[in-house]
Amino acid sequence: MCGIAGILFKHDADGLSTGKALIDMLDGCQHRGPDSTGFALYGNEQADRLRLRFFVGEGAAAAAAIDGIKAALAEHQARIVEDQEIGNNYRALVEFRGDLRKFSYAMEHAAPGATVISIGESLEIVKDIGTAHDVDDRYGVHRATGSHGLGHVRLATESDVKPEASHPFWATGFADVAIVHNGQITNYWKMRRRLQRRGFEFTTDNDSELIAVYLADKLSLGVPLKEALKMSIDDLDGTFSFLVSTKDEIGYAKDRLAAKPMIMYETDDLIAIASEEVSLNRLFPGQALDTREPPPGSYDTWSRST
Amino acid sequence: MVAVDLAEIPVREANERIREAGARGEDVEVLNPDARHHIGVGLTDPITVRVRGSAGYFCGGLTDGPRFEIDNNVGWGVADNMYQGSVVVGGNAGAIAGVAIRGAEVVIKGNMGSRAGQVMKAGTLLCAGNANFMAGYMMYGGRIVILGESGERLGEDMTGGEIFLGGGLHSLGMDAMVTDISRDEIDSIRAFLDRYEISFKGTFQKVVNAGKRLRYSTTEPTVRSLPFFAFSDHSDYWNRKIQEDVYVKARIGRYRVRGYGGARALPHLSDLAFRKDLSHLGQEADPVSKVKMRTLIGGKNGAKPLDISMPLMIAPMSYGALSRSAKQAIAIASGLSDIAENTGEGGMSDAQRDAAKQLIFQCLSGRLGWNIHDMRRADGIEIYISQGAKPGFGGQLMAKKVTPELAAIRGIPAGIDLRSPSRHPDILGADDLVIKVEEFREATGYKLPISVKLGAGRIHDDIKIAVKDGFDFVELDGMQGSTGAGGAEVMEYVGIPTIAAIVAALDALDDIGCRDKLEIVLMGGIRDGVDAVKALCLGADAVAMGTAAIVAGGCIACMQCHVGQCVTGIATQDPEHEARYKPQVEARNIHRFLETVRWQMAALTHAMGYHDMTQLNREDLVALTPEAAEITGLAYEPGTREREAELLGKVG
Repeated sequence: MCGIAGILFKHDADGLSTGKALIDMLDGCQHRGPDSTGFALYGNEQADRLRLRFFVGEGAAAAAAIDGIKAALAEHQARIVEDQEIGNNYRALVEFRGDLRKFSYAMEHAAPGATVISIGESLEIVKDIGTAHDVDDRYGVHRATGSHGLGHVRLATESDVKPEASHPFWATGFADVAIVHNGQITNYWKMRRRLQRRGFEFTTDNDSELIAVYLADKLSLGVPLKEALKMSIDDLDGTFSFLVSTKDEIGYAKDRLAAKPMIMYETDDLIAIASEEVSLNRLFPGQALDTREPPPGSYDTWSRST
Repeated sequence: MVAVDLAEIPVREANERIREAGARGEDVEVLNPDARHHIGVGLTDPITVRVRGSAGYFCGGLTDGPRFEIDNNVGWGVADNMYQGSVVVGGNAGAIAGVAIRGAEVVIKGNMGSRAGQVMKAGTLLCAGNANFMAGYMMYGGRIVILGESGERLGEDMTGGEIFLGGGLHSLGMDAMVTDISRDEIDSIRAFLDRYEISFKGTFQKVVNAGKRLRYSTTEPTVRSLPFFAFSDHSDYWNRKIQEDVYVKARIGRYRVRGYGGARALPHLSDLAFRKDLSHLGQEADPVSKVKMRTLIGGKNGAKPLDISMPLMIAPMSYGALSRSAKQAIAIASGLSDIAENTGEGGMSDAQRDAAKQLIFQCLSGRLGWNIHDMRRADGIEIYISQGAKPGFGGQLMAKKVTPELAAIRGIPAGIDLRSPSRHPDILGADDLVIKVEEFREATGYKLPISVKLGAGRIHDDIKIAVKDGFDFVELDGMQGSTGAGGAEVMEYVGIPTIAAIVAALDALDDIGCRDKLEIVLMGGIRDGVDAVKALCLGADAVAMGTAAIVAGGCIACMQCHVGQCVTGIATQDPEHEARYKPQVEARNIHRFLETVRWQMAALTHAMGYHDMTQLNREDLVALTPEAAEITGLAYEPGTREREAELLGKVG
């Protein structure tokens, strides 16, 4: 019950307008989901440094949660380089060398009232209730200048309107993988049990988290992203259009029934994908764009040049 | 030529200007469209609208007469339900291009998305590029011409019409086949291509319905009908009903279809009683004059509300399931009692429109009889998602009732067993639904209340969606609701009882703090004023009655509605049977019944010490059974049963 957007600038350059582009695209399709908005943004990576983002709430509860997180970081030999409390988030850059998956699961249980949003070398997920502009006002999304990113607007149906239930979803335990999804996975519990038996943890009951973990699992086994997307079309049942991003790539997959919309616009410089053309046109007002609708059961990926 | 710049004004205002230009006969140029939705929706004048760029969803939708020229791409549902007129798209079209068109010419110069021409009835949809998944899905008539590749499953479940393919055939859909093409057909396509200046040198293959799935291969034998009252007995496990059912299934080898409602005992309003001692009821000679009953429904978001003389409406029932005469009688009665009538599926008739003071026009998945002109003369618009008797299923109308006249109104071939689609072409989620609601508001100038009809299933989620998608009210239908034709097991076993539905709906509204944002009209087995008052106590804003109104108008409950040979002339399209029905006489009967309901509602409300029906509340009720108490959360007080029986003797 949502709208999705993704953009990748193919050539690295200074001063890219990635954050602003995503805000514009989501504002263009906010009618598809006014309840919450979120972004997956990528910054520069640094050796042995991780970016962490948590929901901690506000006031005294937030202070207690942050204390708990700091204690847990110390316990796992993660040294805080810098940190910040922003909106209802606690954000930290830490020095860490170790098993990321174990570390992530430990962070999930760091403190009551603290929920991990994302952990990555370059990924940070920013999401909250409200519109694209509301979330930008709170977290300064327009300042993001990385080469690529994803966005999502959500109309909550089966679950409540709360920050944790908004997209994008991080692939818990796998650095830098995020997804945004429009649709419904109907074999959710079957696939989730299959992954749980192999030791993966799930932090929500949202079917979109499943896609993120499913893909990250494939990537960790050395499957290229494009191949993982192809497998997802066979393995996942339901109606879906989703976008995935990693440190260097974005990709999409669309189910065989083509029940959920998706449209893309590509030039030598960028690829932009959205639920509706109205979002793409926000980037190029007044222009008639040569757009393309991906066929049912299709998938593809794009990389930034490095 | 009038210029409308979407960089300067919103679509809503632009559409008003386009319609004004249409009334003056002036052409329009739309600048900076930037793929915005609903451009040109609701236009019914034969002007040309040039869109200088890309348009979004439903461009040129719900129109009759104009010519649209879009320089670049369009989103989903271009030319939705367009009658006469044309749309020429210079670029690509999204999914369901030409959905439900009724005569329009739609030309896509580029490629088109999935399910092009879904449920189209007449006209031409031409795609100069490639089509995609399931082009011609469930089409009923008209022609689709594809110059490029077919995409997968061409003509899936098409009923009528023709598809002409110039490029490669990827695969045929269910019940579609390749057939011979005639010289005349080729000439006609060539002339069409010339008219739109499209050159094509290749040859065509023709795809049509293969005719293997249009009708059930065996017909249900006529057996001696079992009266409903015998049918619903609970005498023993293997009763006569079970026996008859097994006999028939042994002959036909499939599920059975029948009319009327479910016969299983389910927790219902009759399991609730009034808390207060109402033994003084009847002392007031004219309770109707003592209680405020007038009710406004659907005005919370700025539309003109339905204004009904009591919190009661007629439930949606189709012309098709019922005869024209029966629909007319109900409409007259609703007018006499000053309440609202509802078209149900299958279109609006003049007689019905003239007789009903207030009429809700219902839009169903097959868009059968749906059109902009009747939308304009309705007092409310309703999107049917499902119904209580058979949640998740589309309407069923057996061949005997699909007469040439009825087929013409609906835009479908005559004599098929019509099984309406279970899903709308353009509503696959709450996100699509919100755009559809907006299309209807644009088409009707934001004046009419827009409601949603929901069969009780996942109420908690569905009600939240109804609020978020901006509906003005919901018609909530519990599983005690009836139907003209439904799968027998579905009617008995699928759904949520009416009292559980209203409780879940109100819980959901409380959950999101929107109790005041959405009005609920409850239906599904509401038989009289006593049931109605209990429903209002539970929290409904109004109730709707279908079966009770039909019975008041002569229905004998034989459950053979689906057969099409209703002896009373109610559920039939056979002129000989229909001639038995006297609409003027039955209208008086239905009206008298509705007035009885009015008296019952007033008498009970007055006896409870209230002067306004909105004062009724949950505290006025108790539960007579543990099940009803569990479902409603009301106090379990079986001791009031005797008193309740006495009360029913007084008001019944």
